Amino acid sequence: MAYLEMKGITKTFPGVVANDDVSFAVERSSIHALVGENGAGKTTLMRVLYGMYKPEAGEIFLDGRQADISSPHDSIELGIGMVHQEFQLVPSLTVAENIVLGYEPHKGIWLDKETTQTQVLEISERFGLHVDPDMPIREIPVGVQQRVEILKVLYRQAELLILDEPTAVLTPQEVEGFFQVLKRLCSHGHTIILITHKLKEVMSVCHYATVLRRGVNVGSVEVAKSSEAEIARMMVGREVEHKYQKEEISSAVPKLVCEGVSALDDRRLPALRSISFTVNAGEILGIAGVEGNGQSELVEVLAGQRQAEGKITLEGENLSDHGTRFIRETGVALIPESRKTQGLNLQGKVSENLVSNTYFKPPFSRYGVLSIDKISKYGRKLIKRFDIRTESPNAVAATLSGGNAQKIIIARELADRPEVLVAAHPTRGLDISATQFVHEEMLGLRAQKVAVLLISADLDELLALADRILVLFEGRLVGEVDPKTVTYERLGLLMAGHVNDA
Amino acid sequence: MGALVMELSGKDSVEAYKVLLVSALGSRTAIANTLLAATPLIFSGLGAAIAFRAGVFNVGVEGSIYMGAFASAWVGFTFLGLPALPLILLSVLAAIIAGGLWCYFPGVLKARLNVDEIVTTIMLNYVAILFTSYLVNYPFRLPGLANAMSAEVAPQAWLARLVPPSQFNASFIVAVICALFMAFLFNRMRLGFELRTVGDNPIFARWSGMPVARVIEKVMFISGLLGGLAGAAQVLGVNYRFIANFSPGYGFTGITIALLARNSPIGTLIGALLFGILRSGSSTMEIFTDVPRDLITVLEATVIFFAALEFSLTWMRRKRHATT
Repeated sequence: MAYLEMKGITKTFPGVVANDDVSFAVERSSIHALVGENGAGKTTLMRVLYGMYKPEAGEIFLDGRQADISSPHDSIELGIGMVHQEFQLVPSLTVAENIVLGYEPHKGIWLDKETTQTQVLEISERFGLHVDPDMPIREIPVGVQQRVEILKVLYRQAELLILDEPTAVLTPQEVEGFFQVLKRLCSHGHTIILITHKLKEVMSVCHYATVLRRGVNVGSVEVAKSSEAEIARMMVGREVEHKYQKEEISSAVPKLVCEGVSALDDRRLPALRSISFTVNAGEILGIAGVEGNGQSELVEVLAGQRQAEGKITLEGENLSDHGTRFIRETGVALIPESRKTQGLNLQGKVSENLVSNTYFKPPFSRYGVLSIDKISKYGRKLIKRFDIRTESPNAVAATLSGGNAQKIIIARELADRPEVLVAAHPTRGLDISATQFVHEEMLGLRAQKVAVLLISADLDELLALADRILVLFEGRLVGEVDPKTVTYERLGLLMAGHVNDA
Repeated sequence: MGALVMELSGKDSVEAYKVLLVSALGSRTAIANTLLAATPLIFSGLGAAIAFRAGVFNVGVEGSIYMGAFASAWVGFTFLGLPALPLILLSVLAAIIAGGLWCYFPGVLKARLNVDEIVTTIMLNYVAILFTSYLVNYPFRLPGLANAMSAEVAPQAWLARLVPPSQFNASFIVAVICALFMAFLFNRMRLGFELRTVGDNPIFARWSGMPVARVIEKVMFISGLLGGLAGAAQVLGVNYRFIANFSPGYGFTGITIALLARNSPIGTLIGALLFGILRSGSSTMEIFTDVPRDLITVLEATVIFFAALEFSLTWMRRKRHATT
């Protein structure tokens, strides 16, 4: 009998059925992947299990007994723990304090520091999750923060661990180590549900996989008896084309040139240390790197949103020391990394978001007065051309799904052919079809001799699209590789800063 | 809610409300007085609304009212020889500049140096109130008068009374035009689009290439300008001179109205009219029933309380929604 059984779970949100009569079973001491595209209902199903959402219908059985879960408190009592995509740690507290938070060993009303220390070291030892208990969270890297999250769950005696896209923040090497941890947990008798949409992870570490598509369970497979292609087909509902056809570049005509660009981050520490590179016309230049190594700052500098030293030119025109509007007017299109804050005004209309960089000039405005008519007509045109799924150009942007919201940004930035496109994580969080759409748009620009700078944490994306890849580590460009010949291992080592070994 | 308070204190609430409404809307003069009471609130409400919509919590409209009122009065009692129309226009222009600049400076500090606008505008309110009071107590003091007030504005600049004997005057029409214009500005003008975007998401506005700092400065100037107009309207339409401490907090009531109206210019117009009814009806209510005028303050406070509650509830809901 299965350790966990969820039967007939239905959960709706206004206008969407997130889970439609989903049944799901997990064997004890197994690693079970829950896969599906974005919006397939994976996280919703797990939040129902964790007691964060109350389903309209359905039952949950643990060890054959019906479990009554109406809050995370109940699920923790039952031995279920969840590590969310966004970590839930207190930055100012230490590792140990975060782990015991809410279930602290205490002497009277005081925190029992010694017991805390020994308990934390004991579990970290037992599972090989090494941490320094005295470090404040804000001073440790994300990979370690994730270990802390897992330790927190284990400290609460969880038997069943739900991990929501845990590898998104890790380097390839860290991912390898992380999988070792999962295997060790499994051999200690823990059961793991891994939410992911990366099939490589499913193939390399999971025993079973269950695929959700549009809120419905389309089937479960034993990974050893299945294949990546089969699971991908189940996810998308059709065959997936992975390779893109690209024309060779004829000649190198420099478009965007950066020379000796240095910048500080928000804490006024060096984030970029004298970076120089050139993006040629009709070329996609990839920037790889583990997040937090200067990518955000680089995009901000190019967008005119961060002060920098050094020189940035577009076809000889100096862009440094100019504001964002000048940079955009010179022909730079920007797809920023944060869709919700930098890329869109979620409270604004779709049509308003589509003209946020052109609204100030004719035909959209004359003598300070907007032409609402022309703006919504233009909105309708772009909605059609880029296949943005929305009721009307007057819909509020917040009502659109992540993929369609990203399409608004793509449509706005690419509608008038730019000279240069700076794209930061343009497909993050998008499902396979939306990702393919964005990739094809970028390849389309490449064919039109636009210079594309692609900053991405997704190596598969960089390898599929880029003509050259530069690796950013601690604010420096530590290497250039050819995506046609480079291996994951070499890229991973460069990203981890091992310049000489690579 | 007000009824509950009245019943609890043993008053006849139905009777009180009847008197309130009759005395606010029961006759031509009563209606005129209500509109008169609403006039400064329309200006100050719009002044608050435009700043709030741009995400700037400008509390300084009250100060602009004082600066505008004094500037307007100064023109009125200085250029006695000018004919009516040029004098009125010059007086209003002075009020616009004085009121506008009074909020423009904290706007510049906010936009360029990120100085908190709430602190600066609150402080500038005191400066404006006390500075104008100083002016009429010392440099522009009228000998032989016990009250601190300026000389009278030249009579040709007095705004026409539309429904005598009420003091109701042409400034109301200007206020309504301002509300309509603001609605146009918010929804149809470039600056309106910019200020709404800056208010919704300043980071996005910057990434779009909008001149965020200049938008904030313009908005603060307009916000203060509307305060200046409120001041000029009181001087040229009601008092015909500058009187120290003349405003019973028009600027602050304007903040309340803007919040109630969720910064919509038309909503602000309606809200100001409602507050006008309460204000103008309450004094009569006090005379003819034994319900004190303070009850209206209780009522207003209750309205604000529920508006704030609603506001924070939607905010919490939105926040919860955002995390799921």
